[in-house]
Amino acid sequence: MDKHNVSLPVKIIIYTVMIAFTALTVYPILWLILQSFKTNTAYMTTNKLSLPMRWYFGNYPYVLIQGNYLTFFKNSVIYSAITVPAVVILSNMAGFAFAKIPFKITKLFYGVFIVGILLTLQSILIPLFLMVSAAKLHDTRLAVIIPYIALGLPMGIYLCTDFIKSIHNELLESARIDGAGFLRIFWRIVFPMSAPVSVTLAIITFTGTWNEFILMSLMISSEKYKAIPYAVGRYAGSLGSDYGKLFTSLTVALIPILIFYFIFRNQITKGVAAGAVKG
Amino acid sequence: MTINNERRLSYAVLVAPALIIYLAVVAFPTIFSVLLSLTNYNGGLIFGNPNIRFVGLDSYIWMLTEPMGSFYKSLGNNLLIVAVSVFGQIPLGFGLAYILSRKLIARGNKFFQTMIYLPNVISSIIIGVLFNAIIYGRNSVLMEVKKMINPQAVFALNPNPMVPVLVVILWMFTGFYMIIFLANLQRIDPSIIEAARIDGAKEWDILRHISLPALSGVIITTAILAISGSLKSFDLIYAMTNGGPAGQTRVLSLFMYESAFRGAPNYPLANAISTVMVLISVVLIIVVQRLGKAFGTKEE
Repeated sequence: MDKHNVSLPVKIIIYTVMIAFTALTVYPILWLILQSFKTNTAYMTTNKLSLPMRWYFGNYPYVLIQGNYLTFFKNSVIYSAITVPAVVILSNMAGFAFAKIPFKITKLFYGVFIVGILLTLQSILIPLFLMVSAAKLHDTRLAVIIPYIALGLPMGIYLCTDFIKSIHNELLESARIDGAGFLRIFWRIVFPMSAPVSVTLAIITFTGTWNEFILMSLMISSEKYKAIPYAVGRYAGSLGSDYGKLFTSLTVALIPILIFYFIFRNQITKGVAAGAVKG
Repeated sequence: MTINNERRLSYAVLVAPALIIYLAVVAFPTIFSVLLSLTNYNGGLIFGNPNIRFVGLDSYIWMLTEPMGSFYKSLGNNLLIVAVSVFGQIPLGFGLAYILSRKLIARGNKFFQTMIYLPNVISSIIIGVLFNAIIYGRNSVLMEVKKMINPQAVFALNPNPMVPVLVVILWMFTGFYMIIFLANLQRIDPSIIEAARIDGAKEWDILRHISLPALSGVIITTAILAISGSLKSFDLIYAMTNGGPAGQTRVLSLFMYESAFRGAPNYPLANAISTVMVLISVVLIIVVQRLGKAFGTKEE
């Protein structure tokens, strides 16, 4: 296997570095999951780094039922299930128009969207909050869904325009000659062909929506519409009175995204690289 | 319907939904926020409210001169985060990516990559609350470790409260930079590296004369990502320290949030902070465009 000019000591150093890095990254997360099987008393009285002496599962039913996590989970699913397809379809539509229907105004429109990639959400919170209140949307699902869709569009349009540009013009032109309109071409040819970028975009949008916190906490006040990050955010900045339940809440919030990550890990890392690097 | 009309109509139908929703939710509020920062608006009716006056740069002057110096403290913390990215995450991320891309080790490349990137997909709120419990308070893991080293250790407040925050940021996002560098290193034509090796180049020569030059543009991109990432950092610090103790770990976004939505609202101040953030973003966007032209990457 040694096809590289790296000596054995160097190899050992490299392995040590990689293993150390991986251990440092994963250990806090593993530690968290293990602590969720301790009662508060057990956590307080035994070594904080130890494994549970007696495995206690009582935190889980408490958190899921009294902690309302089933509701939060349902809401997280609803928000993602609406936001992700909306961002994917709208971005593909605009991306197709920008890439394949030449108009002078495209330069302006495209530029306006691209600027949004670097803008920060926090800098528009007050006007957004005022607008949502003025539109009487405060404390409704739409109060977060509409901003989530809008916030997904800059990256979406960037990725889709870039991808659709690479589709061969001849294909579209022959469809034009057969009499197909642009909308038909979009739906029948372009949208199916852009599936790879749609998957990437869907994954980026999903993780963003699933983890979103600040809009959720400002725009919605009833617990029945809140999603998972809010449930965790209740513990923000102050120490919990019950560590067992705190760690269980975090673990319950963590598990869906861990499952998602381990299923889609290759697409996720590919998508991040595509989204973050230009050129 | 003529072909030209069909073209125009199709364009409108395809672009309008995205454009309307984006202008309403992102573009309009950005301008709105800048305008509000020039008035004394502090809640209540916006239109037809006789008490709203144009106050010019008063809010900015107050922001820059108020006795607590909160603005400078927050901006300084943002800069510390950028520094951690530039001097910590970017070199570490590059090193890890280089090891992975050159397959310097035979096994486990995919595994290491997956694990080191893992914290990036987890909600910053979860990470923040977790590390709050690990680092702060009498029942923290940090305290436990201190006691294991020195049984006489007593609980004391950390004199440098930003340090734990920066460590967690380093921990969380190094994998992000690793992935970006990795994607770009993998684009280098392997035959160039092969040819160099046949000519007797050592690993060190390949790094210096092939990989690093190929990445010059990407290194600048990552620096820009570090700055915009620092501006966007909110959730993690909110969950980990809530800006405390006494506002010492605040960043601009948190300072703005607290001014607007915690205690007695001070919208003029919050809008002034927002505008500063917008300005920094605008400068970044211009830099990106210039660089794009200089490196001939995209025409945008």
